[in-house]
Amino acid sequence: MKTRFTTRDLVYIAVFGALWGVLEITLGSYLHLIFPPVATPLVGVGTIMTAMGMVVALIGRLFVPKTGSVLMIGVVVAILKALSMGGVKLPAMLAIIIESLLAELGLILARRPNRGGFMLAGCLAVLWTFFHKFFASYVFLGRGIYDVYLGMLKEGSQALGIGMGYAVLIIVAFLLIRIVVGGLAGWVAWELGQEIRDQGLGIRD
Amino acid sequence: MRAVGTWGHLAFLVWAIVLGILAPGGRLLLVLGLVAVFSALFFQGGLRPIRRLEFWALVASAVLLSPFLIGEKDLFLCGLSLSRQGFWAGLWMALRALSVALAVGGFAYAVSVDEMAWLFEMAGLKGLGFAVGVAVNMLPTLEETARNAYDAMRLRGGFQRERLQTLRMLLVTVIVNALRRGDEVVEAAEARAFRPDGPRREPLPLGRADLILIAVLMALGVGLLAWP
Repeated sequence: MKTRFTTRDLVYIAVFGALWGVLEITLGSYLHLIFPPVATPLVGVGTIMTAMGMVVALIGRLFVPKTGSVLMIGVVVAILKALSMGGVKLPAMLAIIIESLLAELGLILARRPNRGGFMLAGCLAVLWTFFHKFFASYVFLGRGIYDVYLGMLKEGSQALGIGMGYAVLIIVAFLLIRIVVGGLAGWVAWELGQEIRDQGLGIRD
Repeated sequence: MRAVGTWGHLAFLVWAIVLGILAPGGRLLLVLGLVAVFSALFFQGGLRPIRRLEFWALVASAVLLSPFLIGEKDLFLCGLSLSRQGFWAGLWMALRALSVALAVGGFAYAVSVDEMAWLFEMAGLKGLGFAVGVAVNMLPTLEETARNAYDAMRLRGGFQRERLQTLRMLLVTVIVNALRRGDEVVEAAEARAFRPDGPRREPLPLGRADLILIAVLMALGVGLLAWP
């Protein structure tokens, strides 16, 4: 089977993977230390880091306009994450790969790179941070999904200042925030990508 | 011990994670014991995570905080309301975390980046090994250029007003510099006649030790889960 990526594609995938990797290893580790999950119930560090990573990965898509490039960037980041200092990284590595897959799905649904497609890809990727809490708690910690759901409702009700009875409202708030953050990440990626494109570097139509 | 190859290490990692998820309550102790024994036998460097203080702080926090956060409070101790259900849930959580940490630490210790990348390549992500190699080599350069660009902008008063505009300029500068560096890498690779679809690498060998380890792990796994 011949590889679909040229040498230039692979190097650009490495460049954007390294850029996202640097963010994850430096800023991500730092933010996780400063803001533990309990301190940030509605928008966690994971959400912010995913949004920033998506900005980088989606700009990368402009430079490697082939299906699978965002996933490849994500896998490079996951491997870099495994090599960085710190404790167990498996949940974070899985999250990065799943988010890249979802972004790829968004780009496939949009058919051709455009602002809307980038925003859809960003939304899908950042939305995973909501479900990741359930997934990681169940798979890695063995916590029941219902326990996580209750904990999330409690945190959400405290952050929003409403009762836990407004469960639907709280969940919608969680999802809406992620959709907005993801959409913003896609929009920023498109804008920055165009600006870098104007510098005339490595862009091929 | 290098008798066990990448396939054996991968099987061990998958086995530890799957049993960590599926093994009920007290059997997690057995899973943890087996993971510790295998780690000590096959990759002693993998025991490094449990020598870290912060790792034990994480494990202790799961055991100590869970009685306060999970389940109904049904126990009063030294004036504190605690939950027995929370205590057990925290304990099983800590055992799971310990098992997975040991297995992941062992895997990361025993399997090189190259072998890891090759595993992904076999899953269809061609050229990944090359991309990971380039990314690892670029990390220090990227950090340095990002720091230089940040310092240059800060010294010119960049972040004192119009911070968003400056941040945008910083990002563009860092990415453009990284791409320029990438172009140099492409030229160097092409000058050395590198082709992503070049000669195929040898598949990772599946040795006798791997097969034996996989068989033992499967038997133990089935035994642990099916035992009444």
